[in-house]
Amino acid sequence: MHIAVVGAGLSGLFASILAARRGAHVTLVAEGHGGLILSHGGIEIWASSSPSRALPRLRPTNPYKLVGLPALRAALDEFRSLLDPHGYIFTGSLSGNLTVLTATGEFRKMCFAPNGAATVDQLREKPFSVGAIAGLRDYYPTLIAHRASAHGLNIQGLVELPMIDRPTQREIYALDVARLFDRETWRHELLRTWKPKLSGVTRLLLPACLGLNYPIQVREDFFQELGCLAFEVPLFPPSVPGLRIEQILKALILELEITYVEGCHASGRIDGSSRGKRVAGLALMTSGGMRQLDADAVILASGGVLHGGIETLQDHSIREPIFQLPIAHPEDRSLWTSESPFDQQPYSQVGVRVNEDMRPLDSRGRVMFENLFAAGGILSGSDRTHEGSRQGIDLATAYRAVEAATEMPLAAAETKRSRG
Amino acid sequence: MPLPTPRSTPFTLRNSLSTEVLIIGGGATGLGIAWDASLRGLKVILIEQSDVGQGTSGRYHGLLHSGARYAVSDPQTARECAQENIILRSIAAPCIEDTGGYFLSTPADPLEYPDRWLSACQQHGIPAEELPVERAREFEPALSPRLSRAFQVNDASLDSFDLAQLLINSIRSAGGQVYLHHRVTGLIRDANRVTAVEIEDLRTGYQAKMGAEVVVNATGPWATRTAKLAQLEIPMTLGKGTMVAMASRPIHTILNRCNPPSDGDIIVPVGTVIVLGTTNEPVQDPTDLKIEPWEVDLLLAEAEFILPDLRQMRALRAWAGIRPLYSSNNTPGGDSRSLARGHVIVDHEQSDGCSGIISVIGGKLTTFRMMAEQTVDLVCKRLEHNMPCKTRETLLSSGNHSYFQLPGKLDQTSSQSMLAEPSDVICECEQVTREQLIHALDDPDNLDLDAIRRDLRLGMGPCQAGYCALRTFGLLCEISPEPAPAAYGIRPFLMERWRGQRPVGWGHSLRQMEFSRRLYQELLGMTQEEYKP
Repeated sequence: MHIAVVGAGLSGLFASILAARRGAHVTLVAEGHGGLILSHGGIEIWASSSPSRALPRLRPTNPYKLVGLPALRAALDEFRSLLDPHGYIFTGSLSGNLTVLTATGEFRKMCFAPNGAATVDQLREKPFSVGAIAGLRDYYPTLIAHRASAHGLNIQGLVELPMIDRPTQREIYALDVARLFDRETWRHELLRTWKPKLSGVTRLLLPACLGLNYPIQVREDFFQELGCLAFEVPLFPPSVPGLRIEQILKALILELEITYVEGCHASGRIDGSSRGKRVAGLALMTSGGMRQLDADAVILASGGVLHGGIETLQDHSIREPIFQLPIAHPEDRSLWTSESPFDQQPYSQVGVRVNEDMRPLDSRGRVMFENLFAAGGILSGSDRTHEGSRQGIDLATAYRAVEAATEMPLAAAETKRSRG
Repeated sequence: MPLPTPRSTPFTLRNSLSTEVLIIGGGATGLGIAWDASLRGLKVILIEQSDVGQGTSGRYHGLLHSGARYAVSDPQTARECAQENIILRSIAAPCIEDTGGYFLSTPADPLEYPDRWLSACQQHGIPAEELPVERAREFEPALSPRLSRAFQVNDASLDSFDLAQLLINSIRSAGGQVYLHHRVTGLIRDANRVTAVEIEDLRTGYQAKMGAEVVVNATGPWATRTAKLAQLEIPMTLGKGTMVAMASRPIHTILNRCNPPSDGDIIVPVGTVIVLGTTNEPVQDPTDLKIEPWEVDLLLAEAEFILPDLRQMRALRAWAGIRPLYSSNNTPGGDSRSLARGHVIVDHEQSDGCSGIISVIGGKLTTFRMMAEQTVDLVCKRLEHNMPCKTRETLLSSGNHSYFQLPGKLDQTSSQSMLAEPSDVICECEQVTREQLIHALDDPDNLDLDAIRRDLRLGMGPCQAGYCALRTFGLLCEISPEPAPAAYGIRPFLMERWRGQRPVGWGHSLRQMEFSRRLYQELLGMTQEEYKP
């Protein structure tokens, strides 16, 4: 069985891996970089209250309600089992939220935070210092210290930390530092430079930069050499914790022999002989020209408004550009946004409507194509920024879509017959 | 860690203050009057309820008129614009970019108009010269290939926030005083004379009474309300003009449609963007600034006749300003001659028998100096103060302030980057450096991030503060590690940017809005209300 997945964000990568692990042959096509580059590396599921209690009470259009709590649990278990062996270990549970300190000294709620994240529970235990890395872009330790102490955290002070071998002629970003930390000799040299500055400091808040591919080794060395526990806050994109997840998932994609085509634009669907009922594949615009990708099933994880999976137009229309799936939306474009950026946004809840199997529905609620599934940001029914539900929906809907797609071997056989 | 001292307001009100001239309103008109009167040696105090240029003056497209726009419809305004254009280029040079301007005939414009218009320009002494369309397109390759005629005029691009800053500096160095964030809550009448005003400091709530020999009402669209405080009537109609900024600067010359003045007839390059102007819709209230989708659509559609690739560009934000117009019906003593000139100076002593107060209504930003001169002439007459106007030949003072148009900014950053840390660029879109920002934060007039934005164009470029809001806020904490007052907060700044983006919230603009929302809420944990432990 051949499954084509569109989109390399969290839901697309996860869906590809799940499908491959269930024996499907998978081709993942992506136009650019997925949304993990914007991610804090934790898993938000339902920020305003305990997910296990809140989710069953959601409106029927919310993706969680369609997926159900058991599928969410199964998705989380499998996701964690993928990351665990790579040392990316989450703490937290579905029964409540952790509070995590951010780079403005504010807080964000999430169900699961990765090891090394600056959870407020840990920070409250004892006073901590804030590391000020010289010349680092978009990092303001004074701001964090000031806001965090205003919020009742006990901060010992700022520690100025020098940087060695920084790239010249341009800014240095957390991702640069993370890559440098991955290098063993550089790492040891830097930690030697930092050691005298950190005498007496046992708990240190840092920007998320302690390694990209080898964060476990970096953390170990950090603790060994400095006797100091580090807590990381993610910075503006490229966000290191999100990219750590992405690196692990991409490594798995290679391992599972998934065909990963980057830099190609899915421009439309291919109709088979059972026209209108099933999708025969995707039309792709690649650097080498137009290509046809045949598939027994397609999982559409092309993202929401930000990533181009949903297009909003000046003429008050909103469209899904690949399959032309119908999108219900407020008719007047002045109603797409709310007055404040901090409110719930109507445009963010607009998207593809699906059934319990993640099959897109037409405007009358009927399944459009038997072998088309949608997952992640493209789905309607939730403002994930406002709800604090982004990663939970990505994972649960990808999981459900793969379950449904791989449950249809008979249909796949039919396609082959009709093609023959 | 060191802890707070809130920044103080530059002046503190005292009850015993009195002045010769008290000007209400800190737009170009009020500031111009305050400057002119200070130069003539009068004791001047100006009261502005919010910040300078927050009304009509700041909600402006940025065009310093050559006069050509009005050559046919209103020759007197045209001549005045032409004269003032020359004067402002010499006295207000730091806030003007000499872009030059074109008048262009598109297939949608009346065929016979250009000849009529050109002869009107010649007749009224307004420089306008025809040039081959191909030549115009050599200078501006983005122009439509379907243009039939092109003319060169003396338009320029003027930053009204910079102009306001220049005026404030000049008023202060001439001995005048400017109170921002103060509202006039009452005009005290002693029989048939206004003798004093009641003022409230909007930041502290402190109230004071201030005596004045002449009060000048320069409150633009609020003029009716201000006059009512002294039981005076000013009949006015308000027109809302909407403008759209695009997220790039594909042209460097001001482009006018060669047709009678109408909706969507100009494109002005300002900083890193171009501004499309304007519409004209009657409204009831000065705060009636809501922009309808059709207004934005109309401006984009009209501009497309000149710049056919406009649809490929991203609209950045939209805003509206209110044009105050003196109503011609039931004119209380104003003469019709002054109506034709676009502005009216109402001497309430003549029209209502109430002395001690003068109202100035209408006019164009281009002619603010001349309106100020005429108003202060009248003030001087009333005060029997015999001093001639000096604003024609006095250069506006830059003070210790730096002014940058785009080329200057780029120059500065490229020469700086050889020496300084690259991370010193706080706002990449508008090339605002750390040094400029620190300087601006030091200015006691910059009472909030929004004032700094106007000062430096911070956050006004393509990303609409997506990155620089954090950087500015972070830097603010670095240089004064005390809790800043709420007005310095990142929230009001982000909300203000969002407000202007909403009318163009589709396509890539909406993606940009969503991007900022993701950054500030998911990565940085910002919420509507400040977190309280």
